[in-house]
Amino acid sequence: MLKSAGRALAALLVSCSPALAQPKEILLGALLPLTGPAASIGIEEQQGVQFAIDQANAAGGIAGRPVRVRFDDSQGKPDQAVLAFNRMIDLDNVPVLITAFSSVSLAIAPLATRREVLVVNPAAQTDKLETASPFLINTIPMVRHEASVLARFAIDKIGKRTAIIYENAAAGIDGRNDFRKYFEQVGGTVIAEEPVEFGQTNYRSTLLKIANAKPDFVYIAITQSHETMADQVGQIANFPVSIGNTFSRPFFGHASTNGWYQTAIQSGYPDAGTLAAFKKQFGTADMGFFAREYFNATNIVLEAAKSVLASGGTLSGPSLKAAVLSIKTFDSPIASITFETNTALRPVEILQYRGAERALVETARPAQ
Amino acid sequence: MLYLQLLIDGVVSGCAIGIVSISFSYFYATTGIFHVAHAGIYTLSGYLAWWMVGLGTPFAAALALAILAAVVVGYLTQRLLYRPLEESGATPLVLMIASIGLLTVLQNVVAILFSPNIVQFDLPWRLSHTAIGPIALSLPQAILGVLSLLLFAGLVLFSHHTAAGKRIRAVASNRELAEITRLDPKRVFAQVLAISSGIVAVPGVLVGVDQALQPYTSLLVLLTAVVAMIAGGIGSLTGAFGMSIVLAVIQSLSVAVMPGRWSVAAVFGTFILFILLRPEGLIRSRFSRAI
Repeated sequence: MLKSAGRALAALLVSCSPALAQPKEILLGALLPLTGPAASIGIEEQQGVQFAIDQANAAGGIAGRPVRVRFDDSQGKPDQAVLAFNRMIDLDNVPVLITAFSSVSLAIAPLATRREVLVVNPAAQTDKLETASPFLINTIPMVRHEASVLARFAIDKIGKRTAIIYENAAAGIDGRNDFRKYFEQVGGTVIAEEPVEFGQTNYRSTLLKIANAKPDFVYIAITQSHETMADQVGQIANFPVSIGNTFSRPFFGHASTNGWYQTAIQSGYPDAGTLAAFKKQFGTADMGFFAREYFNATNIVLEAAKSVLASGGTLSGPSLKAAVLSIKTFDSPIASITFETNTALRPVEILQYRGAERALVETARPAQ
Repeated sequence: MLYLQLLIDGVVSGCAIGIVSISFSYFYATTGIFHVAHAGIYTLSGYLAWWMVGLGTPFAAALALAILAAVVVGYLTQRLLYRPLEESGATPLVLMIASIGLLTVLQNVVAILFSPNIVQFDLPWRLSHTAIGPIALSLPQAILGVLSLLLFAGLVLFSHHTAAGKRIRAVASNRELAEITRLDPKRVFAQVLAISSGIVAVPGVLVGVDQALQPYTSLLVLLTAVVAMIAGGIGSLTGAFGMSIVLAVIQSLSVAVMPGRWSVAAVFGTFILFILLRPEGLIRSRFSRAI
């Protein structure tokens, strides 16, 4: 009697096993710099992720399942990120993780490969991220994609002789290398280059030296202290027009930088209702770039999860990655994203600072 | 033209570093304590002024209040940290480690209370600049240069021509004798740190107005100031101030002939060469202390 009851229970467990293996809720991980010097960016990114989760749950979840996100703090540091990654995978078994910062994403990339966890990078742009792991998906183009568009534009519209100011750190060095490579490919010449240190606030001697070289324009690749550099440019008579990439946005709005150019990843706003809901939920005046990009990237993950569940699959790193590449094109008011590889192809805009506006000069789609 | 502008920029930067150097030197020569937390007071005063300006306080008042706050922090540092440690027999190394600890605390307090980011003063006049022939100088640079020279002259005059200054020099010269003659070195030490801290608040604020504020970079400023103090001759305010200007000019001019990343190395290389040739520093002082 006891034996037959045991057999029945075992049979019941076997017949129910897919349902038992599939958790009731969908759990995502997000590894962001929530404290430390980059916390202001990390908190904006967190809002974007949380908002996407809340919107999905308000609409009934994904395939009827509620969605939850577990946040952990990387502090923008690779060592902390590795610890947090292991916590998330060992304790919560998350199949997918949204991340931030090149150094953090590069540090956890080998772990993602080994543990077969999908890592989604919505904002970091170091070129190495393209090949860091087969389980790393970049929803934003890399520095080199912007550099190729900018180099072509510069040689056509500005001049053939440039000087480069770059930050002596990963993003700045990548920016210099990529721009030099593409600019020289299209026939340009780099006549001078000067590094500056991360967090530096006195650029006067560097700016004077670069201006003295008399280039047609200056390519600037820094990620901090733009306002300070702009102020000090204002002190130098006839400083050449300058250009930069997405990181150059803080140069906008200064009298000394009027007429400068920058590339920007095309990143729109959600519809008015969604935008208003975001502002109300977080009490912000705007939905910033990082909030929009993390909102959009989370929606891409959720769409992939929906696709996996619809086909009867289980949520795992490999299944989610396959779903992203299979869906391939993700259109939203924020961005039109195509995945030919694990790095998104998106339009790149050339913007010029004209008084109080960043005027769109042209839009180009970089080659893969 | 390039060299002339770099020279002037170097002189102004040197004046700011010079004030850090003489204020550090004044305390070190008197007490023998390697007060690394001086860099933290430099940072704290800048952020305090920035915060007050953000609240609508007129700049002059914000500067005065930042100086006052630095005086209080300096005084309390001597009374609550260095003095108890000295009384419990702490070695100079222990005092220096404690000072490094205080620096870390101050930097983190600034980052938590104010901002971990690079911030700028909301003062429209800071963008004003004037051209004298081929030389361009921002208004904050001009103020910084003038105030630094006045502070330097003021401290030298105070040290040599006032009763309080002479008392401090007496304590610096011979602590044991000062104790016997009831000069109360412990009290004098607290006064000196208060004075030094108040002085260092001036470049702490004005460099922030001219460029920007950063919670974590003041240690490099202090390091350059200490190098200038040693090269100038420990205990010599003129030596420290003069060498600060020399080193800053070398750093600025070196950019014209080599990549900017080597400019700090050029400064320290010059220092090593100089100190090999003249170990006692530029101006030998009878208050010299070993590092």
